[in-house]
Amino acid sequence: MARFLFVVPPMTGHTNPTLAVAAELAARGHEPAWCGYEALLERLLPEGARRFGLEGSLPDGFLEEIGERALKVRGLPGLKFLWEEVLLPLARDMTPGVERAVAEFSPDVIISDQQAFAGAFAARRAGLPWATSATTSADRRISLANIPKVLDWAEERLTELQVELELEPVKEPENSPHRVIVFSTPALCGEMSHHDERYVFVGPSLAPRPEPVPFPYEELLDVPRVFASLGTLNAERGQRFFAALAEGLGDDSDAPGLQVVCVAPGEFGPFPKNFIARPRVPQLDLLPEMDAVICHGGHNTTTEALSNALPLVVCPIKDDQPVVAQQVADSGCGLRLSFTRPRPHHLAEAVDRVLHEPSFKERAQEISESFTAAGGPARAADHLEALAGVTT
Amino acid sequence: MTTLTTISNLIHEVIGEDWDLEEEITLDTTFSEDLELESIEFVSLAEKMQAAFGEDVDFVSWLSEKELDEVIDLKVGDVVEFIDACRK
Repeated sequence: MARFLFVVPPMTGHTNPTLAVAAELAARGHEPAWCGYEALLERLLPEGARRFGLEGSLPDGFLEEIGERALKVRGLPGLKFLWEEVLLPLARDMTPGVERAVAEFSPDVIISDQQAFAGAFAARRAGLPWATSATTSADRRISLANIPKVLDWAEERLTELQVELELEPVKEPENSPHRVIVFSTPALCGEMSHHDERYVFVGPSLAPRPEPVPFPYEELLDVPRVFASLGTLNAERGQRFFAALAEGLGDDSDAPGLQVVCVAPGEFGPFPKNFIARPRVPQLDLLPEMDAVICHGGHNTTTEALSNALPLVVCPIKDDQPVVAQQVADSGCGLRLSFTRPRPHHLAEAVDRVLHEPSFKERAQEISESFTAAGGPARAADHLEALAGVTT
Repeated sequence: MTTLTTISNLIHEVIGEDWDLEEEITLDTTFSEDLELESIEFVSLAEKMQAAFGEDVDFVSWLSEKELDEVIDLKVGDVVEFIDACRK
């Protein structure tokens, strides 16, 4: 029996993939626990899960305010914002609490999210084996390849942070020298020159999450069905995008040729008759009923779609999404559109192509098979057990 | 074709056809604030510029010397100026 501590940032998409891995470890008789902000852990973790909830010293409303502002900045200003206003303050704020959790729980292995640097720092300080949990396969070494000084800028911030926390600075401190567990496969994310033997590609980790959200399945029409989810959008961007989607794919006739299910609050409407719009949906249960997905390239939605062999139309907004969108386009399982100025006829044409040109579906099917072969949470657990010195 | 026109066309290729063509790209258009160009799109724009203007215009090297804030403030006019200077 070994103890495993998952250190997660206050981001749902970075926490969900850890659930199935932890469940697998628990099923093998190990003891998993989480360390992260209490509000998020309380909401996402299964009942009875052991957790070390951080209160932190960030001002009240920090995360809400960050979320609000993060919706407004894209591109390189978005990158600067992510580092200066989110990742570095989070690392400073989380480090003392993570170290207390390590002292109390005495884990054998720490699994630190790639954006929760505090976990990596705590593991190094305690001299413990640790793994990086890369819940997105997008990597700054890809997106910043031609602007190396920007890459250096990020590295310098990490060096300063390590010095401030009295750690010997290392390059890329968020990537473990032992294992970097990537929840994707090369079939989707491609082969990268920096992917050395530390990198293990286990495919997505989709735990059946408790999703007590009702959905009117009986209303789904027996025609090609498209699922559209753009994550959290502010009102301005959301209205513009969904207006374009309604214009491009809307059909108010009595026998529409397309069914659109979209995750959108009512204020982004009105929606045409062939749309079912809900602010929340049971996404994992719903995807098997769909034929294609329109999304923003969030890593979880993208891999959930591909697990169901669904071709994609990706309209990336920010952060890792442009890279994920490029992976989708390059691997041939979907099309990439610009999110900034959505044009109804481009959305309609892209959806028509991914539904009717067989190559998109075929590539999505191949990627889905690569996910299955990669082993998912069980393979991730194998690697973590190996770090704990458990012989299997 | 003027340098600006060529660059505008390349930008259209990178950010997708759905950029509203009525909103003309000018010398004052900024890559970050106006075009909201993502870093990976800079990578692909740099490759296209290199292909379009040839070896005498080493756009990739020029871009690689830029600090984060310089890239954030970059205007289309700065790139036009750089390219025209290379071709003199």
